[in-house]
Amino acid sequence: MTAIKYYWEHFVPGWEYVSPARSLSAQEITAFAREYDPQTYHTDEEAAKATPFGGLIASGWQTCAVAMRLMCDGYLLQTSCIGSPGLDEVRWFKPVRPGDALRLHSTALEQTPSQKDPRRGTVKFRWDVLNQNNEVVCRMVARQHYRRRSPAQ
Amino acid sequence: MSRHKPAHKKYYFEDFSPGDVWEMESPAISKQEIIDFASRFDPQYFHIDEDAARHSPYGGLIASGWHTVSLCMRMICERYLLDAVSHGSPGVSQIRWLRPVRPGDRLKLRLTVIEAKISRSKPDRGSVTHRWEVFNQGGEMVLSLEGVGMLARRQHGTSA
Repeated sequence: MTAIKYYWEHFVPGWEYVSPARSLSAQEITAFAREYDPQTYHTDEEAAKATPFGGLIASGWQTCAVAMRLMCDGYLLQTSCIGSPGLDEVRWFKPVRPGDALRLHSTALEQTPSQKDPRRGTVKFRWDVLNQNNEVVCRMVARQHYRRRSPAQ
Repeated sequence: MSRHKPAHKKYYFEDFSPGDVWEMESPAISKQEIIDFASRFDPQYFHIDEDAARHSPYGGLIASGWHTVSLCMRMICERYLLDAVSHGSPGVSQIRWLRPVRPGDRLKLRLTVIEAKISRSKPDRGSVTHRWEVFNQGGEMVLSLEGVGMLARRQHGTSA
């Protein structure tokens, strides 16, 4: 476990983080898809050409999972995060193709103290996944629970 | 044959009507699978470190929520999606990770069709809005969400 640097109090609305880029290879796309989402346009580079997407694209769930990893590496593992109750939405705006370099842009939207536990709070975030052309390929609106640095009075 | 109209499939947009229920299940999820997935994508300590996870609010190792939804996606692929002409999905909403998924859990997914609409801009396909309810072997709901899938219409397919 990494030492905790950031608690609930840190994520005031407007807080932002942009991750370094991470590119996805064709091999990574097909490997994920064979395990979890074996639709042709995710698993077979040749056959994918004849699909509506015109070529291999990443499973949307892989895009989400990669965003999660960028978040973990960028800051989440240094926080007091204790999980997530869920997401309001996940939108896949554009296909992610082999070689695309993805970045996570995380923005804190709302900070809510826990009603039940004075030692915790919730933060609502927007997580945008951008490609190398700065296009938003995926947008998530999510909530996470964090421990507070100091309990609510 | 148009290159955008692949070989005959079993399921089309017309096979999904509001109220329809599809049920499917997954083999037990192992501790190693949980750790492997999380080591790649979500290495928070309660997903990868069994000892440290005991001291977490969950009292033990739990699967990444992204792992749970990915396993559900595989169930849907195997149950019908690989036998359908899918145009992908614009997204999902209201993902709720209601209870932790733990090593040994066997997941059951109940998919209920909520709405089926022909696309106005692309009349060769329609959108199917559906709700996932995922239960563990004890019948407790661990995950729910609302998703949308775009499926080809049969009369626009190759061999209707």
